[in-house]
Amino acid sequence: MSTAEKYLKPEVIRQIKRLDLRAQFIVKGFLQGLHASPFHGFSVEFSEHRKYTPGDDPHDIDWLVYAKTDKYYVKKFEAETNITGYLVMDLSRSMGYTYRQELTKFDYAICLAAALCYLMIHQQDPVGLITFDEKIRSSLPPRARRSHLGNVLSVLANLKPEGKTDVAQSLTQVAAMLRHASLVMVFSDLLAEPEPILHALHRLRHGGHDVILFHVLDEAEVKFPFDGMVELEDPEDHQRLQIDATGFRRDYLDEIEAFRETYRRECSQAGIDYVALDTSMQFDRALTEYLVNRRGRG
Amino acid sequence: MNFLHSAFLYGTLLVAIPIALHLIMRQKPRWFEFPALRFVQRKHEINRRRMRLQHWILLILRMLVIALLAMALAGPSLTFSDGGVFGSQEEPVAAVLVFDASPRMQYRHDNKTRLETAQEMGLWLLAQLPQQSEIAVLDTRSAHEGFLANPGAAEDRMRRLETITNSHPLVAAVDEAILLAGRSELARKEVYVFTDLSQSAWPPDSSAAAQLQDRIAAASDMGVFLIDVGVEKPRNFGFGRVVPLPEILSEKSPLRLETTLSCVGEGGERTVELFLIDREGRREKRGQQTVSVEPDQSVPVVFSVTGLEKGTHQGIVRLLEQDNLPADDVRYFTVDVKQAWHILVAAPEPAAYYAKFLTQAIAPQRYRRSGRARYQCDVITLEELSDWRLGAYSAVCLVDPTPLAPKTPEAPSVWRRLTEYAAAGNGVAIFLGHNAAPAVEFNAGGADELLPGRLATVVRRRNDDPLALAPRKNHPHPVLASFRGRQESVPWNLFPIFRYWQLEDPSGTMVAMTNGSPAILERPVGKGRVLMMTTPISDRAMQTGRDPWNLLAISEAVPTFLLLNDMMAYLVGSGNQRLNYTAGAADNVELTLEIDEIYDRYAVTLPEQAPDGTDIPPVPPDRQRQTVTVSGADWIGSYRVEAGGTGGLRRGFSVNLDPRQTQLRRTTSEQLDELFESGKYHLARTKEDISAVVRRGRVGRNLFPLVMMLLAVVLGAEQVLANKFYRDR
Repeated sequence: MSTAEKYLKPEVIRQIKRLDLRAQFIVKGFLQGLHASPFHGFSVEFSEHRKYTPGDDPHDIDWLVYAKTDKYYVKKFEAETNITGYLVMDLSRSMGYTYRQELTKFDYAICLAAALCYLMIHQQDPVGLITFDEKIRSSLPPRARRSHLGNVLSVLANLKPEGKTDVAQSLTQVAAMLRHASLVMVFSDLLAEPEPILHALHRLRHGGHDVILFHVLDEAEVKFPFDGMVELEDPEDHQRLQIDATGFRRDYLDEIEAFRETYRRECSQAGIDYVALDTSMQFDRALTEYLVNRRGRG
Repeated sequence: MNFLHSAFLYGTLLVAIPIALHLIMRQKPRWFEFPALRFVQRKHEINRRRMRLQHWILLILRMLVIALLAMALAGPSLTFSDGGVFGSQEEPVAAVLVFDASPRMQYRHDNKTRLETAQEMGLWLLAQLPQQSEIAVLDTRSAHEGFLANPGAAEDRMRRLETITNSHPLVAAVDEAILLAGRSELARKEVYVFTDLSQSAWPPDSSAAAQLQDRIAAASDMGVFLIDVGVEKPRNFGFGRVVPLPEILSEKSPLRLETTLSCVGEGGERTVELFLIDREGRREKRGQQTVSVEPDQSVPVVFSVTGLEKGTHQGIVRLLEQDNLPADDVRYFTVDVKQAWHILVAAPEPAAYYAKFLTQAIAPQRYRRSGRARYQCDVITLEELSDWRLGAYSAVCLVDPTPLAPKTPEAPSVWRRLTEYAAAGNGVAIFLGHNAAPAVEFNAGGADELLPGRLATVVRRRNDDPLALAPRKNHPHPVLASFRGRQESVPWNLFPIFRYWQLEDPSGTMVAMTNGSPAILERPVGKGRVLMMTTPISDRAMQTGRDPWNLLAISEAVPTFLLLNDMMAYLVGSGNQRLNYTAGAADNVELTLEIDEIYDRYAVTLPEQAPDGTDIPPVPPDRQRQTVTVSGADWIGSYRVEAGGTGGLRRGFSVNLDPRQTQLRRTTSEQLDELFESGKYHLARTKEDISAVVRRGRVGRNLFPLVMMLLAVVLGAEQVLANKFYRDR
């Protein structure tokens, strides 16, 4: 593993304090890991046509030109800046949870958001930031300037996950707020009733936006590492339960998997990219997802 | 179930501790913050119920741990009897020690006889018995004994134990021991049996064994301990019964001596010697054989001794090399050699023909020539009988007689003469045949004073439905001595009877025919006896052309030969004379005396095996019966009965061990189980065994290890379950 690639690991990135550096390292590590770049042409503007020669990617053939001229031409691109991205960040108290006392879900989401922001701004895509708990708390309008990266990162760095949350309400608000078709990237643990959230996501989608749902859970929430008699407390409503964790793990894992499966299925039907993450996973998974989505729009 | 330290059982009250812990000091679960609690909530109720169940299981396991620990400390044990054996090991017991004192116990191993080993064990055991125990020491003598006054007396009694020649069955002694122990007032009763566990000591299907079984079943609180002092793989050669045939023989006839040599354990070759012992006790070797015996087999050994002079002869048969059990390495015998008895045979004309079969049967021509015949027969006609001198004869035989009533009233009656002759102590035999008709005539003239019944008619059977002799099984009469024990194998039906005389008022039937009619009858007359056969023994030999009455008198009729010989021996008075006895059956040995052998007193010389200082006082004769009776012949060996000093009378008899007393074949544990029922007895071999077995018998089987094992299992289960609940992280 190269030096840069190790920054894709949460436990490594945790040791870096500055968010801008975190973002930079994640993106560099990610890009270095890509061998032959399949992402050539993303977010670049069309520059010229040239004759197709065997060996060129047939995907790049311009079928409109073929229709007109009956000849194969491939498109050459330059940078293109017409995708507006919104990073939508859940500020709920539960996002501040960490079982291993390393990266919280929130930290993980922030790193990811910062990396994406970095990536997008470097591609001259405008990026905005929206944070919410029970409703939208703050927003930065999308900009593509380099200096905007600093703004976004400084806001992200200062965010604190606290209080209750209402994801559905907040997303509905976001949908109402965005005028133009954009790429909406939602970072949340989605620990609420799924029905209204899915409803809100559908609404976003109907608004013409592309949606990537980064479902960030803590490692403990996915693996349930408890043993013996435990008492568990919900950090938001402070409800407590005593359980025999050992006997309970199987049931819990089934439940959480069913929960994720619901989102995966519903999102798939609605054309939403659903990315199930936990805080032990490398960042590249999320970044790849973004790029694939971005490419689909190209 | 019993407990050695029952106070520890109060420890079970400590089961309250886990209950209190579970109820009061319930361990707090570890706390965690967990945002995804909503997923936990859904299955929480099921989980809670399961957890509660596990808690209960854990509680029960912990209570069990404490209860089992308390129980283990209390020393639990299980007794095999249904009750009675309670209390500690130190409680006094009623102990009856039974020693097998049969000659088998002389078997020497590790330089100790079995009896010595038993004594040693017994003395050790005596020291182990709790204070104030009641102790009795029994052996296989038949004497009834009680509890001894103190342990010292028991020790003394034990030290004086010795083997007994006429040992009673061990099972009977054990039976008596159980009875004796049962009479004790002490709660705990124990019977210790010191035995070599040989099959002969524990016969599986005897009536005594059945009685013992019942007795043990009834005395369920009795502890029966078998202490094995035997040798696991004994090796011994020993003689079976020695039978001189016959015991009384005529001058010059050979003595045939039959015995068996049997082997227990490894077989081999042994040299058997035969000695005759003269009046001065000098031994003269008269035979030697080398006999090869397979393991656990027996082979017959036969000696033939000739040239014995008139008089009483005693001798021994012995093994040249002594083995571990000397008691059965030697057998003693006594025979009397007498002059041939004179028999008068009277028959109708031609007398020689009629008498031929009888005379050939009892005194074969060949024997007569060589002087070995037991009888000397004079044959006369019936007419000659009326004035023939009878006094010189030991017996008179009438073969197929005609009616003997005197023709004129004043003529002397032959019947009366014969009656007087018999009453004087002689024998008369009458073999009826076709000449006896007419019956009325035959019965007349005083015949009814002599004959065992009046003649009635001749019964004729069809040729295809004949009768045969059918002696009763194991009839004790000397006339049937040759057939004793082998009735089934005597082919009487090969010698059919077609005709016979039916009698009126028959008495003294000794042998019947297959239809139940009398064939041979006996009538005592005065001091003598009369035998009458209702069918002849002369018919076939006659060859007269008429149908024979039976086929008893053919040359192949060996049973008839034997029967006639036994009848003659009985009539002349030698048939009931026994000279060789087995120990236990020689309580009263009766020797028949001739008229010239009667003295005032008879000195009895004991065999050399008799212990010093013992003797039998001189015995007077029974002049009336012409016998002398020796009582108390308890020792093995040859006894001499003498009178009249040098040149006077010298008689004797021999007493041998019953071969069953020295059979060493070991009984198996299955046979013991069958005899006692498994679990009704305890078997021990060493002192350690005895301690363990006795302790188990008294206190029961120690359950401590079992309880500890159970405790370990429960403790393990508790640990596993507890770890699952409260795993430290």
